[in-house]
Amino acid sequence: MTPKLAGPVVRSWRALPRPARIVLARVALIPPQLFGVLLVTFVLVRLLPGDPALLLLGNMATPEAVASLRQKLGLDQGVAVQFVRYLGRILHGDLGTSIFTSHPVVQDLIERAPATLELITYAMILTIVIGVGLAILAVIGRGGVADHLTRLYGMAAGALPDFWVGLLMIYFLFHIAGWAPAPFGRIDTYLTPPPTITGFYTLDSLLTGNWSDFTSSAGRLVLPVATITIVNAGGVMKMTQTAFAGIYDSPFIRHARACGLPQCRIVAMSLKNSLPPIITTAGFLFGFLLGAAVLVETIFAWGGLGQYAVQAVINSDYPALQGFVMLAAVFVLLVYLVVDVLYELVDPRIRI
Amino acid sequence: MTFRFWLRRPAATLGAALLLLQVIAIVFAGMLAPYSPTMADPLHSLEPPSWQHPLGTDVSGMDVLSRIIFATRINLLVSITAVAAAFLIGVPVGLLIGFYRTIASTLVMRLFDFIQSFPVFVLGMALVSVLGQEIWNVALVLAILFVPVFARLVRAEVLSLRERPFISAARCSGAGDISVMFRHILPNAMTPALVQLSISIGMAILLTAGLSFIGAGVRMPTPEWGLMVSSGAQQLILGVWWVSLFPGIAIVLAVLCFALLGDQLRIFLDPTKRAPGKAR
Repeated sequence: MTPKLAGPVVRSWRALPRPARIVLARVALIPPQLFGVLLVTFVLVRLLPGDPALLLLGNMATPEAVASLRQKLGLDQGVAVQFVRYLGRILHGDLGTSIFTSHPVVQDLIERAPATLELITYAMILTIVIGVGLAILAVIGRGGVADHLTRLYGMAAGALPDFWVGLLMIYFLFHIAGWAPAPFGRIDTYLTPPPTITGFYTLDSLLTGNWSDFTSSAGRLVLPVATITIVNAGGVMKMTQTAFAGIYDSPFIRHARACGLPQCRIVAMSLKNSLPPIITTAGFLFGFLLGAAVLVETIFAWGGLGQYAVQAVINSDYPALQGFVMLAAVFVLLVYLVVDVLYELVDPRIRI
Repeated sequence: MTFRFWLRRPAATLGAALLLLQVIAIVFAGMLAPYSPTMADPLHSLEPPSWQHPLGTDVSGMDVLSRIIFATRINLLVSITAVAAAFLIGVPVGLLIGFYRTIASTLVMRLFDFIQSFPVFVLGMALVSVLGQEIWNVALVLAILFVPVFARLVRAEVLSLRERPFISAARCSGAGDISVMFRHILPNAMTPALVQLSISIGMAILLTAGLSFIGAGVRMPTPEWGLMVSSGAQQLILGVWWVSLFPGIAIVLAVLCFALLGDQLRIFLDPTKRAPGKAR
């Protein structure tokens, strides 16, 4: 940037409202991050032992067939050229064809994404509400029963394997008690899923006024969401507790208490001021839940992205696996973008 | 180390007891296990817990207790090896990129950012699947995933330590880069990484078990906790609970053990948290 240009640019930048500056500055970081993600997924598949062309054609392929496929895939060229061609394909929305389903990977991912997003969204909301709620209880009732119980829970939750908790829930709540609906899929098999509006069965069935679809899909969500929440709320609780206790003991809250404000107002004030670290925790949580979804979807035959990824691993379906890893990373990038923007919006001390 | 010493520290006692239990299981697996961990016995398939088979048998008639005992070897050795390797690589790397602030150190940090921007389990699953589903590949992948964790912790410490007066003092008395790094900075920068060491082993145990559970890791009939839970998952809704329940308990206890030990290590290594007047 030439000095002549810098003045007006800086001035017009300063003229923008603060939220716009926050969003623009953060969005500018996306292209290099995206490039990094694509580089990693490219390297991932290059790590494959053996010749990809041979892998696709099988051991019985003739040398000519292998050579022609190598040429078609661009394997006879340098790694840099291959990477550029790979970038070009991705920019055209081509993630290859799944070996297992023989559909384009993009189509497979788009079909399955709503199932996973619905699961993760509800699990995330519940995890944050319970985690933050327990943290507040623990800090307010310090030294009391709530404090000890939450500490025990925090310790135990960190040691629980989510796939095992899911299986226990199926055994006790479905098999023994019979309270929970069957752990097979998102909706009862005799029902037709609601037409796709948002892709969330619960929302779509409400929007179309289909009550039986709603109760069925909401019921099917209970066990997987509870599994994810039980395992992850402990971590959220521990992180919130540190942040919330710091604010709760700070001089300005002591002043508020001395002024005679009621307890609920004081808790609300402390919570508002400990929001930035909670928002960051929520961002981390999303990445965690994508991993948890892989395991939990397998157990509950959810039919989302996680189960697709497991099938890809079992069948050595590398295009599908590559597509899933890329989508997961892009999701996480977007969530971090939202988290960073929110973080800066709620903390007026950050200058931009 | 009297009886009272342990009684006053229930968390440390539980952690140490669990660790001892696992060491015993690893060393004396052959003597403790009543049956072979890999020998199928189709005549005694899916037997509930009894005197012959204290924790029951799985679908191919293998004794669950014997498999849990033998699996301790695989689960713990893989997790500990992976985390130890990550520690041995991550700590020096963190020291170097914290001490020398060049373009290369920035690039290494960006690389760590990228690795950590992927969900851990998703990247682990993809890497194991691509490298080949072998137990040592699981260890390798876990090591790769944990190197940034240790490097970051050490780097953060080094960045604050290198500006402190005692480093200038060491410089004035003629210490070179190597001496400053290893004699003056490293010993003071280790605490967070040491505490993380124990916690990471617990996380590695959970990841290893999760990977085997979805089929990206060891294969049957290798005794491995996650794989054992998965092998019982099909029969669970038929009322066969013992095949999945017991290996899961083993996972929980093992992870809990390293979490408790990490907590104790944090208290032990932090002089401000020790009770006053109780010098050790």
